[in-house]
Amino acid sequence: MSHGDSKVTVETENLRREFESKQGKIVALDGVSLRVKEGEIFGVLGPNGAGKTTMVRILSTLLLPTAGTARVMGYDVGKEPEKVRPLINSASGAERAGYDFISARGNLWFFSQLYGLPSEEAHRRINELSAMLGLENYLDRKFYALSTGYRQRVTIVRAFVNDPRVVFLDEPTIGLDVMTAISIREFLLSQAKNRGRTIILATHNMSEVDAICDKVAIIDKGKILACDTPSALKRSLGAPALVMEVSPPPPPERLEMLAKLEGVKGYTSTIDEERGISRVQVVVNSDDTAQTVLEATRKSEMNVLSSYRQQTTLEEVFVALVGRGFREREHEVAA
Amino acid sequence: MKLQPSIWLRTAYARMWVRTKSIYGEPLWVVVTIGFPLFTSLAMALLYRSTGLNSAVGFAVLGGVMISFWGNVLWSMASQFQWDKQQGLFEIYISSPAPITAILVGMSLGGIIGTAPSAALVAFAGWVFFAPPINPFWPGVIVVFGLTLAALYALGMTLASLYLVYGREAEALNEAIHEPVSLLSGVYFPSIGGFSPFPFALQVVASLIPLTIGMDALRRTLFALPGLPPAGFDAIYLHVIALSVMAGSLLVLAQKALKALEERGRRTGTIAVRQR
Repeated sequence: MSHGDSKVTVETENLRREFESKQGKIVALDGVSLRVKEGEIFGVLGPNGAGKTTMVRILSTLLLPTAGTARVMGYDVGKEPEKVRPLINSASGAERAGYDFISARGNLWFFSQLYGLPSEEAHRRINELSAMLGLENYLDRKFYALSTGYRQRVTIVRAFVNDPRVVFLDEPTIGLDVMTAISIREFLLSQAKNRGRTIILATHNMSEVDAICDKVAIIDKGKILACDTPSALKRSLGAPALVMEVSPPPPPERLEMLAKLEGVKGYTSTIDEERGISRVQVVVNSDDTAQTVLEATRKSEMNVLSSYRQQTTLEEVFVALVGRGFREREHEVAA
Repeated sequence: MKLQPSIWLRTAYARMWVRTKSIYGEPLWVVVTIGFPLFTSLAMALLYRSTGLNSAVGFAVLGGVMISFWGNVLWSMASQFQWDKQQGLFEIYISSPAPITAILVGMSLGGIIGTAPSAALVAFAGWVFFAPPINPFWPGVIVVFGLTLAALYALGMTLASLYLVYGREAEALNEAIHEPVSLLSGVYFPSIGGFSPFPFALQVVASLIPLTIGMDALRRTLFALPGLPPAGFDAIYLHVIALSVMAGSLLVLAQKALKALEERGRRTGTIAVRQR
């Protein structure tokens, strides 16, 4: 299963997953095809409800695809789960999986035994991984007595305790303080770059993807909209985004005219209640378009307090692909 | 799936260790598990003694010992996977190479080890306070006790897989099952045989519960009538066969039910509980 210079460790082909609900059939994944190479940190970026967790669950053998195939280390996750499971591990930022009245070390040792690790090796790995994550002084505390950040570090150590070839992480830094999140990101980078472990990172945290992912697939409504390196995706937009601070905040329908202007790829708007303004971010294909947008906004009797150009981020890439920002998309999905 | 003895043994041992540590990590739970069977069996023993049924006092003490294990089977075995699922642990088990039977056996052994001290305390207290007359056939007692625990915990394994289907209602199911089973299985009085107060049809139903067979066999091997020699294996061989068949078939049933549930869960997406 070689592909180019590196071995392909995760591969999906036209992966589809449907769920039955009271409202009818829900398509969570729709024809997803991707390839991930050994040692890559591969981001799956999308708003809540985009299909990220479903993809991770299929790849970690917890869910069968409705159609298509998914292979990990060459094995079909649907048909050969028993061959896939010793090679993988997974963790979710939302999980609090552990036995409360047992120490962090005891919990980690327990989870290592599910993979048949000799106890001596298990303790060596627990010590080594904990030291990397700054957990070593908390290993003997009961699980219930750990703070959210340290529980999350335990979860990350658990996901690597069996030295898996491929690790699936679903929002691993959600709800964590900045320092903990940074320490987890550094740890993930070291596992991928120094140990050649493949990490699939499902997240809606764009800065996280930007910071550590080699490649990113942007997913929305179960479909992959784009897949490339974060820098290539940002370069594809052509020009920096235009940001306008508008006061008073205009009703959403007044902004809709922006989408109709030639060269506008999409826009997103957030209200800053403290300052009583709307920050309208418009993804444009050129500097001329940015000028046109500014003039059109002023002409439509919106009071533009200030405007500036912003370094392109993955948020703008998403806006360009979908026409809406993450938050608007999540509201649409929830509705 | 090819059996890997190393993973199987390590998983079973680790799960047993977790169960035992968890039981003793919660002091209040230890008090509850000891207190409930202790006081109930003492009350029953006092009742027997006050009504002149001195030879039946031992039934009450034995009932207290065995009800400790039955409570553990219900609350720490049957409901366990449902709680594990709520905690996100079940999906960790399923996505690991660990055989689910090893986890179940580990849970059972941990439950037995964790419950043994409270059962022993009930037996000790009953002996100190009431000194019930016993006339034991010890080899029979040991065999029947072991087989009864095997069958009881195998029942717990089967219920554990079935409770996965019921979600949070599992706790209500435990409440619903606990007392009727205690009554039918004759924990504190003979519910099958010549001394049973139940009609024959109800005795047949009661006989389907491993605890009923186990209790009857234990009473026969521990409390032979005074003046008569202790009962031999001829008095309990049917019980031994029934308990062996129950333990074996419930184990197979639990394994098959869990496998079927895993497959169903992978199809329908019900293995994991979304936690946000």
